[in-house]
Amino acid sequence: MRARVPMDDTASSLACHGLEKYLGEDESRVHVLRGVSLAVNPGEVHAVVGPSGCGKSSLLYILGLLDRPDAGTLWIGREEIATLSDDLLSARRNEELGFIFQFHFLLQDFTAIENVVIPMRRLGGSTDDEMRERAAGLLDAVGLGDKADRSSRALSGGEQQRVAIARALANDPAVILADEPTGNLDTANSARVFALLKDLVHRERKALLLVTHNPAIAQACDWIHTMRDGLIVDSAWHG
Amino acid sequence: MSPASHIALRFTVSRKRSLALSLVGVIFGVAFFILTQAQTQGFERYFIQTIIGTSGAVIISDRFQSRYTSFSDAGARAAEDVMRSRGQGRRKYYEGITNAAEIMRVARQFSNVSACAPVVQGTVGIRSNFTSEVLSVQGVDLDAQLAATALRSQIIAGRIEDYRASRAGVMLGSLLADKLQVGVGDTVQMTGPDPKPRTFTVTAIFRTGNNIIDERRGYIEQRAAQGLLKKPGLVSVIIVKLRDPDRAPEIAAHFERLFGHRARSWQERERGNLQIFSTLRLSAGITVSLIILLAGFLIFNTLTMAVMEKIREIAILRSMGYRRLDISVIFLGQGILVATIGSVLGAAAGALLTYLVSLIPIKVTGFFYTDRFLVAWSWQHYLTAAAIAFIAVLGASFLPARRAANLAPVATLRGSGQ
Repeated sequence: MRARVPMDDTASSLACHGLEKYLGEDESRVHVLRGVSLAVNPGEVHAVVGPSGCGKSSLLYILGLLDRPDAGTLWIGREEIATLSDDLLSARRNEELGFIFQFHFLLQDFTAIENVVIPMRRLGGSTDDEMRERAAGLLDAVGLGDKADRSSRALSGGEQQRVAIARALANDPAVILADEPTGNLDTANSARVFALLKDLVHRERKALLLVTHNPAIAQACDWIHTMRDGLIVDSAWHG
Repeated sequence: MSPASHIALRFTVSRKRSLALSLVGVIFGVAFFILTQAQTQGFERYFIQTIIGTSGAVIISDRFQSRYTSFSDAGARAAEDVMRSRGQGRRKYYEGITNAAEIMRVARQFSNVSACAPVVQGTVGIRSNFTSEVLSVQGVDLDAQLAATALRSQIIAGRIEDYRASRAGVMLGSLLADKLQVGVGDTVQMTGPDPKPRTFTVTAIFRTGNNIIDERRGYIEQRAAQGLLKKPGLVSVIIVKLRDPDRAPEIAAHFERLFGHRARSWQERERGNLQIFSTLRLSAGITVSLIILLAGFLIFNTLTMAVMEKIREIAILRSMGYRRLDISVIFLGQGILVATIGSVLGAAAGALLTYLVSLIPIKVTGFFYTDRFLVAWSWQHYLTAAAIAFIAVLGASFLPARRAANLAPVATLRGSGQ
């Protein structure tokens, strides 16, 4: 199946075309992405699967504006962002994207609710009370309303990952990118976290692209993109 | 508060133990800097007060006349060049002031001049029943002298009024009176160029605190001095009191050009002693600044460790849209917080220590007389101490902050996530 690119008037939440990326220098230089094209629309859940080293994470970091491609084009909505300055890329990450990582990466000195408020502070435009109210609502939505003021150190792994999900949604992003979001959780927590994410995406018309090694999670996504040697070799619709 | 400042504040609070040591260093450094500056400047200011109070801000003395040399006299021209480089041409000096009354009248027209006093100076012998000494006699117009100097406050025995009432009274320096073993009411005999001694009654004893003055100087009435020195009508110097003594060098230079008499400011007269004070102040400042620099080094270590520990949190902040500048501010902000708190508490501690030190009794004579520790209260000490603290702390925070800002988030995420 061919990858979709934003060629028509209906812009995808996130799209890329012909992405290439090299890592390393000289003899250790590796061609990790060899022309990847992809489009993620609102309300869709995309899984990227493939063996380790096939370029999944590199693709995710480029789509998440944390890294720049060596070739190819990238859009968020209708904006082509490859040529934006570092500060503008930061602004787009803050406004349009939400990240969830395998190791959740909460700020350890902060409480659960403070972690959720952090991206909102960068966005600005809200009072402290408004930010805390929204953060409390998000924590409620992930089932942690009663642990909002608990230090992130005092939360279990599953709880920390749910705080990370709430944080990823803090600025109401169009796109959520997740790198093995359930990779560090047990089966029960893994199913719970994924169900939560999928429900949010469908209910609030977000776009979710996740990298996973978990076949059960992948099978539950709307799209599965299989990568091998820096290329998407198959894109399958499961919706 | 900016988002980065908010995070900086939280990071600082969470690392309060490791930052506390740096904070204590800044507080001590700032406090000791203020204390040492207050002490050295306190003594310096009192010394300046003493010399201005005793000899005036400007002293106008001998009349001079420029001298010219022939073109063939190469050696003389070279000497003249040297004199010109010091702001003077070659001059021939004539002892004393010509037309002192007119010079004082014109000098008083200057808005900065608050008083002038003519003085006849000379050296005579003085003898008591106990011993003989050499006296640097000062023939003064009492009212003018009191207006131009701090003589009234320097009297430690006797009364100015008794001196005024006496036709042959003398006010002696305290050390000279000790040497002669005389007190108020005793008589002394003075001998000038005329071998016939004249008798004076000690009506007051003064103490400037400057030993050189106190062991040699005595004040008598001006005409009596002219008679004793066999120099009728002579005025040796004019003491000029200024409202703003700091401007004495410009006024002195102007007087020289205007009056054709030598005029020396207190800064010029006491250059050597003032340099000693400046050197002491600089030396104390440098020594104490080392404490602040040490605190800066501690902060450098603490923040470098913090960057290493928080490398994943920095990456996640970047992924949430925090810019490089924000990351810099988070780490620089911790330094700014330490410098701010350290400067405020250090300034308070410095003020308290300065006050406590000012209560310490200590007897100093030689340059000046004091029976307690002298301190100067100046906002500049506080500002300088805070500036040094900020420079040291921000300098120390800069490298860790830059390193944090330049961390590539992908490298961290790649290393941790797979």
